[in-house]
Amino acid sequence: MLPSYVRSAPPRLLAIAACLFTLASPGQGQVYEGKQLVAASLIADTNAIVPGKSFTVGLLLKMTPGWHTYWKFSGDAGIPIELKWQLPPGWKAGELQWPVPMKFDDPGDIQTYGYHDEVLVLQEITPPASIPDSKVKLSAAANWLVCEKICVPGSANLQLELPTSTTSTPANVELFSRFRRLLSQTWPATSVATLKWSRAGQDLLLAVTSSKLANHPFADFYPFPPEGVVVGHPKVESRSGNEITFRIPLESALQNQSSIQGLLVFGQHPDADDRIAWQLPETSGILSVSLARPTAERSLIAFLFLGFVGGLILNLMPCVLPVISLKIFGFIQHAGQSRQKILRSGLAFTAGIFAWFIGLALLLILLRGAGHQILWASLFTSPYFVLFMSVVVLVFALNLLGVFEISLPQSATRGLLGVTAKEGDAGSFFQGVFATILATPCTAPYLGTALGFAFTQSPAIILSMFVAIAAGMAAPYLLLSAQPAWMRFLPKPGQWMERLKQFMGFLLLATLLFLLYVLGAQRGLDAVIWTGCFLLAVSVVCWMKGVFITPIASTRARIIAALLMLILFVASGWYFIGEKFRFSKLEVAGAKLEGDWQVFTPERLQTELEQSHYVFIDFTAAWCITCKFNEASVLETAAVREAFQRHNIVKLKADWTNGDPAITKLLKQFGRPGVPLYVLYRGKTADPFVFPELLTKSIILDKLENISVASQ
Amino acid sequence: MKTTSVIAVLASLVTTAAFASESPSVGSAAPDFSAPDAKGKTHSLSEYKGKYVVLEWFNPECPFVKKHYGSGNMQKLQEEFTGKGVVWLSVDSSAPGKEGSLTPEQADKKMSEWKTRSTALLLDQDGKVGQAYGAKNTPHMFVINPEGKVIYEGAIDSKATPNPADIPLSTNYVKVALDESLAGKAVTTAQTKPYGCSVKYNK
Repeated sequence: MLPSYVRSAPPRLLAIAACLFTLASPGQGQVYEGKQLVAASLIADTNAIVPGKSFTVGLLLKMTPGWHTYWKFSGDAGIPIELKWQLPPGWKAGELQWPVPMKFDDPGDIQTYGYHDEVLVLQEITPPASIPDSKVKLSAAANWLVCEKICVPGSANLQLELPTSTTSTPANVELFSRFRRLLSQTWPATSVATLKWSRAGQDLLLAVTSSKLANHPFADFYPFPPEGVVVGHPKVESRSGNEITFRIPLESALQNQSSIQGLLVFGQHPDADDRIAWQLPETSGILSVSLARPTAERSLIAFLFLGFVGGLILNLMPCVLPVISLKIFGFIQHAGQSRQKILRSGLAFTAGIFAWFIGLALLLILLRGAGHQILWASLFTSPYFVLFMSVVVLVFALNLLGVFEISLPQSATRGLLGVTAKEGDAGSFFQGVFATILATPCTAPYLGTALGFAFTQSPAIILSMFVAIAAGMAAPYLLLSAQPAWMRFLPKPGQWMERLKQFMGFLLLATLLFLLYVLGAQRGLDAVIWTGCFLLAVSVVCWMKGVFITPIASTRARIIAALLMLILFVASGWYFIGEKFRFSKLEVAGAKLEGDWQVFTPERLQTELEQSHYVFIDFTAAWCITCKFNEASVLETAAVREAFQRHNIVKLKADWTNGDPAITKLLKQFGRPGVPLYVLYRGKTADPFVFPELLTKSIILDKLENISVASQ
Repeated sequence: MKTTSVIAVLASLVTTAAFASESPSVGSAAPDFSAPDAKGKTHSLSEYKGKYVVLEWFNPECPFVKKHYGSGNMQKLQEEFTGKGVVWLSVDSSAPGKEGSLTPEQADKKMSEWKTRSTALLLDQDGKVGQAYGAKNTPHMFVINPEGKVIYEGAIDSKATPNPADIPLSTNYVKVALDESLAGKAVTTAQTKPYGCSVKYNK
């Protein structure tokens, strides 16, 4: 609040006063106990601002002899110099550019990095393309800590006034060139210097090979650790020939910290004005390692076991359940038959499962080799695959409901040849195949990890992994057929079997509903209607098969019926699918998100992380039952929703229903072949946290509680 | 054979020397010490076995220490946790003649003037306690559990500035570590980079 006499003063008087004030104090001093410790000012490398043309401003700190201020990494003590601009709209400031600091050693093994006497910290300023005023005043707040034997914090609000013009000439040339010489240089070409990071226990080793570097008696590594990493004092471990190795002790870091940022400083002696600093090249540090490693660390045998267990669990998945019932039903039917037959049937079923998985593995290996982005379960991202599955499920359902009987051509010659088991074997084989196809979208908990691992591996490992899964899935059936004695626990055949068969037809129809829902999510309502039309035609075809193609019908009638069936099938397929379904529009995945969810895009994730936000990503798909289950029982509950809100976590939904390639890419980075996947990003530097595939409320709530105390 | 063992002994000596001033790593045993407080009473870590102990490096002249005492933040923390049975030892490792070095009388006066609520203020004039812990800053914080293991080491909070206005905006790592550990949980953030003035050792 200004005193009243000033407020009432004529504007001109005020302007003069303001001018005088500016002239009198181009910079500001930090006075401590009657002594000026630091004089701070802003200076520019130009005498005028040319609109749209970048120029450099420097914060000049002049320190009393013996006192020092700090570099961007201050070391064991101290606080870095800070400069915050209040720029007019349209102006941009670049990153602070720091001259190479000096290393100070204080008693008690305390090392700090900073500057004494005088330092100019540079920053590039870009003005907008047009500036209305003839003069521009730029303001910035500077903060620093200056220490000698004691430390005193200082701050200043600084101004820089420059005229605008169409041309400009350099200003403060000597000062700028002196400190620009001290800025770090980008890492030289590999012909000049190469570097190698390695880890020795808790320490990092940095080996640099360079003849240029080797010519200087002084060489040091000034670290610039990321947040959360505490480094000890780097020292030269060894020097031999052209190679210098630095040891950088890590006092607190991630286990997979593989490198850190920093400067390689060298010269004739540590304080030489001609010392040179190379900025270490930008490396991923931890991210690339941490994403791929967690799975690779586990042994192959453990993974094969996981695959086996995963396969076993597949049997319990809701999408395979109807098929299991089918199979169990088959066992009951065979219960009255010979032991050998039952074993054969079991083996055929097993062979079917193996055939599918091995076929899938070969396909995966082939496509992987061809560079295609195909993943486990990504078959379901194709609407044509879902359509195909719908037809298969419908035909099976109609069969179970008794609309038609499946009679293979062999059955005619069965009695003649006495190969009675043929039909049963073929049937069992295809049931095995069918069961596994249906299991595809249900990535059971273990399976995710196992397959994620397999996808990044060699063909031999992929193959053995799939075989392990097949073995797991087939194990119960094989066991039952090899030990039919255990089947005595199963009920005796009878009239109820027919009814059970019909009832299971309805279960399959329920599966069909699910498939139609997936199609709806992928291609919209129109696609569902056209699919329905085609399915109706297929039903009629099946009905015709049941009614007209019977052993008692004449050959002529059968041929005519078969022809009509073929025409109906082809015509409806051509019209409903080829003409209508094909042109149904692609649904924009996640276009209608509910609640506080937002659509995932890689750019979106990047932006949120740039702002240091915490981001939770739900990788989901309409056809993923586990995902739907997790969403309904955990993510959409009031408690979890409230917790996300309270911790200010951005919730992104990555909908993979249509196989969005951007999502596929990210899934692959996490070593996952498909959905579900739940990830929590904690800002840019920290490792993303991966939740298990089957969520519970407490898993989410506990994690959120933990991060909230560790962050902010 | 003999040369190898000599080299091994030398190597271990060199290693010990090199790491002598490193802070004890989190999870390892806290080194024992004994030092007099402002009233002349000697305190040692071993006598507090079975209790949580907080070590807080202290220098009354340091602006970062003043940040937390001037705002009452440190006293509040000391009061809360000594109330829960935690032993809170402030340690002044400034060498005589250097900034922040206190005679017992000055220390006593400072404590009543600032209304400190710590269990005691230890005067570590030869810097032995500070060097045993590798204390580099004021304030530099250590939390030791009843088993005598270091469970937290580093900064007092998440905002490394001398500005008291930043206190409400920061996470107090010491409070979080104690709260978690007292609740029987593992400490989430067990080590951070301490900030503040350097400890004013003699050598």
